[in-house]
Amino acid sequence: MSPKAPSPNEASIQEDRWIPSACGICYNLCGIRVRRINGTVVKIEGDPNNPAGMGRICPKGAGGGIPLVYDPNRLNVPLKRTNHKKGFDEDPGWVEISWDEALDLVTEKLQQVRREDPRKLVYSQNLMRGTAPRLLPMFAAAFGTPNSIISNGHHCGNAEHRLAGLVHGVDTSQVDFDLCNYLIVFGSGIGASAYYAYSSLTQKMADARMRGMKLVAVDPLLSPIAEKADEWLPIRPGTDGALAMAMLHVLLNEDGLYDAEYLRGGTNSTYLVGRQGRFVRDQATGKPLVWDTPSGSARPFDEVEPKDAALTGEFTVGATAVRPAFVLLQERAKEFPPERAAEITSIPASTIRRVAREFGQAARIGSTITLEGKALPYRPVATMFFKGAHGHNNAWVSSMAMKWLNLVLGAVDVPGGLLGTNPVCLGYPQTGLPHWVPQLGPDGLVMASAWHAHSARGPEMTQPWPQREPKAPERLDLLDLFAAGSGGHISVLLTASDEAQRFGIPYKAEVLINEGSNLVMSLGNTKVVAEALKKLYVINLNLFLDETAHFADVVLPMASYLEQLTPIIGWHLQHTFPAGQGSWAEYIQQPVVPLAGQRRDPSEVLIELAQRLQILPGLNAAMNHVFLLREPYQLGLEEKYAWPDICDRVFKNFYGPEHGLEWFSEHGVLSWPKKLEEVYARPFLKYRVPVYLEWFPDLGRKTQALLDKLGVKDIPTAGYEGLPGWKPCGALEAKNASHDLQAIYYRVAWHQFSSTFENPWLGEVSSVDHWADCITINRATAERKGIKDGDRIWVESVRGDRVRGRAKLSNGVHPEVVAIANNGGHWSKHMPLARGKGVFFEALLPLDWENTDPVVTVLDCDAAVRIYKAKDQETGGRGWE
Amino acid sequence: MRYGMVIDLKRCVGCNACTVICKAENGTPPGILWARVLKLESGDYPARRVSLPVLCMHCQDPPCQKACPTGATVKRPDGIVYVDTAKCVGCRYCMMTCPFQARYFNDAVRGYFPGQGLTPYEVLKYQDHPAGVVTKCHFCKHRVDQGLQPACVANCMAKARYFGDLDDSNSEVSQIIRTRRGYQLHADLGTDPSVYYLPP
Repeated sequence: MSPKAPSPNEASIQEDRWIPSACGICYNLCGIRVRRINGTVVKIEGDPNNPAGMGRICPKGAGGGIPLVYDPNRLNVPLKRTNHKKGFDEDPGWVEISWDEALDLVTEKLQQVRREDPRKLVYSQNLMRGTAPRLLPMFAAAFGTPNSIISNGHHCGNAEHRLAGLVHGVDTSQVDFDLCNYLIVFGSGIGASAYYAYSSLTQKMADARMRGMKLVAVDPLLSPIAEKADEWLPIRPGTDGALAMAMLHVLLNEDGLYDAEYLRGGTNSTYLVGRQGRFVRDQATGKPLVWDTPSGSARPFDEVEPKDAALTGEFTVGATAVRPAFVLLQERAKEFPPERAAEITSIPASTIRRVAREFGQAARIGSTITLEGKALPYRPVATMFFKGAHGHNNAWVSSMAMKWLNLVLGAVDVPGGLLGTNPVCLGYPQTGLPHWVPQLGPDGLVMASAWHAHSARGPEMTQPWPQREPKAPERLDLLDLFAAGSGGHISVLLTASDEAQRFGIPYKAEVLINEGSNLVMSLGNTKVVAEALKKLYVINLNLFLDETAHFADVVLPMASYLEQLTPIIGWHLQHTFPAGQGSWAEYIQQPVVPLAGQRRDPSEVLIELAQRLQILPGLNAAMNHVFLLREPYQLGLEEKYAWPDICDRVFKNFYGPEHGLEWFSEHGVLSWPKKLEEVYARPFLKYRVPVYLEWFPDLGRKTQALLDKLGVKDIPTAGYEGLPGWKPCGALEAKNASHDLQAIYYRVAWHQFSSTFENPWLGEVSSVDHWADCITINRATAERKGIKDGDRIWVESVRGDRVRGRAKLSNGVHPEVVAIANNGGHWSKHMPLARGKGVFFEALLPLDWENTDPVVTVLDCDAAVRIYKAKDQETGGRGWE
Repeated sequence: MRYGMVIDLKRCVGCNACTVICKAENGTPPGILWARVLKLESGDYPARRVSLPVLCMHCQDPPCQKACPTGATVKRPDGIVYVDTAKCVGCRYCMMTCPFQARYFNDAVRGYFPGQGLTPYEVLKYQDHPAGVVTKCHFCKHRVDQGLQPACVANCMAKARYFGDLDDSNSEVSQIIRTRRGYQLHADLGTDPSVYYLPP
């Protein structure tokens, strides 16, 4: 039942409807229903029929839409730049033009680069739209360019995505909140202030805590999750890997708390390692050998009963001394006794030992649980990590350490443990679609079956296993060279400093199509990003004239998520949808208000552009591929289809002729229950996961050889390690006597990166929160430096980049840390409500090779800084230098 | 019959979804937050913090009602305390007597986009927010009268809010107050709030 409208008198109501749709404020795409009275949007709620959100919605979703739809500062008409000089202080000289003129201009430019070399086109997409199947990557494929910039790429999963692929066979991971009893969270707001499936996992996390799940939060800041934790472990930023290694040491070497049965049968722990860290292999089949204890001989891994395979010991095969891979892991962990980790992390050794021990004991190794009549392994513990912990240029080895804590206890894809985000989908019962099941790959290891399949980003997010060979780069993000990377800021680096040539790439980026990503504010050091944008002809589809649009040549007014049509099909299920028991759902994002002004749905714009560029056959082919369209729904290559017609085909293709666009427009969501074997993949599938990535050092050597050939000497490949570990991140190495603090970034529940700061409702929440718009500093540290609560201060990096804001003193932050929420501090005069709110963190991040982990192409997302009071006259302006 | 709310501080994650969903439901003007979340930090480093969501406590002996010279503050038989804006003259005595700072004065019709007029949403919603009167949470009485929960209860992601009849000893709110030792804020002031809290 719907509540009566409180406002207009009843006689004046001609229309009062609830329209089901999907939120588009962040990438989680929670189900919403939107109330419209006489054409005006009056309320957005969670859709109780959609398991994505389960009928409740976070503050961003509750308040993000209405002010966005009606913001008078939104773009309404196409604009053309008349001042071709670009810079922060240059007036672009915008003039309004018609759509026809805009499309003519854009077509001409695109035709020119397509004639020369289509790879000169780079595209970028607002991350908030990234997990819905958007047309821009398909357009790029049709155009013939592999080049993209992932907006906020360095705030993305990188190492976690690759490791989730190797361990769970899918893009991301979540905790089995229904059954987990002990959770350790490293640098993530899961179920508290951020992370995937946020609206759903907050409900599940609260239920789990009430049920008695112990929560340990490892975080430099007393963040919402630390606030709710049974135990908060304030850690020095960038050292989470060292803590995890010490815990592994306690489990593997001090207490012998590990799941030997799982390690023998479910991982490659027993594979014998010989010279140079390589497996010894069967000569005939090439399969890795394990030591068969009863026969006292080495035999192929799949010919030996797991219980008979040696997990420890030293053996000889031929003339080669060999040891099971597990021994290498044990030895690596020995490098991190808790006493050493205590010095690195600032967490006492006794605490590390106790937490590791509690965690290991809570895993109940050997126990089972009966669900739906089936006895399944029961490991009710999990560790999970995200950007705070792995947003550093030691991401690869550190992330392995944090992930491996689950592996050694067998707490992976079983009840109670860490679950892949839906690694198995057997499909809607009537059609069997969508469908993916991890496959058995080489060496018996799991192979993700639907790895980014629906994202149209196949080439850049290649399957984690088997590992693709690195090759001389032809792409601006260098993901052909850095074959385990995930995309992000590298295209910007190459463009800003004309580095393409250095890597032997025979072309330079020349045109950027940017669908709503505010790159200047979201990709690290803004001056570097600006240098890149100055070199490009920028076509910007946008909601606002934001700081990035300031560098555009043509700006096209775009529909917001409440004004556009998108089928929510495919990839979201493997990336942002709730894992664990429950239901599947695919659904629709649909217009609830007509397009104001001259705004257009970006999908329609791209189809129109494709037609003008005569690449429509390629776009249709890409849509057939990404949406898996089969007859009779397949698109004819030459034909131009209206976007709603394409959406209708997509829905019918997956869910049958009765479930077309009309059905989804009315009902919003199609949901069906998950099966047990979809939720807990491991007991039902015969695959192994790696504890030792034998191929990784080799990958590093091959990458190094390619770099040597190119004469590139400044990119270290030492990080290509096959075992977990830890090394200092760039900020830790840069810290010195004067720059003695680390600036870190965190996320509040009511803002999404930089993209919600124009929203006055969400901004108002920040204004009444003590911390969100300020720079949080440890009270004792601030007092030592003569800084008082409310002082205006500068935070300045080693390189002299600095940002200004108000100090907020707290006993809830590590003494060596200053913490800044989200990316505030907008300066565009066309976003008056965003302007000057919050602090612009990204300016502090160095955007360079030195602070990039080439393995997973992640940037160090903290910075060594000093702080000092701002002078009285230093007010206004941009708030950063 | 006495409507009351229970807020579980152990469940609450301080996300402010209540603050925002209240605004979306009731269309309150800028600066007026019928629901909001206080953050209380205590202790030396490493400190602890508690998120404390607050709203009108719907006191059963409401000092605001006694202070009101025009009878604009009304306590319904079901315990909901609301402001009848037609009777309010904006004297703000009630604001001075409220121990919970739950009341706001709407001094002028003002939208969220200063100098740019009212949005269609604001035009519609501000029919309920005339200028010159005092305003506060009314437990979403328009929803409650239709059998729905207040917006902040229905939407709370951490499921930290319960709503029901405090007079019924078998109701969920009564039971949970008993079993979890629920308490009122400033019970010592004797206003008998209808909002209870469960310890963190």
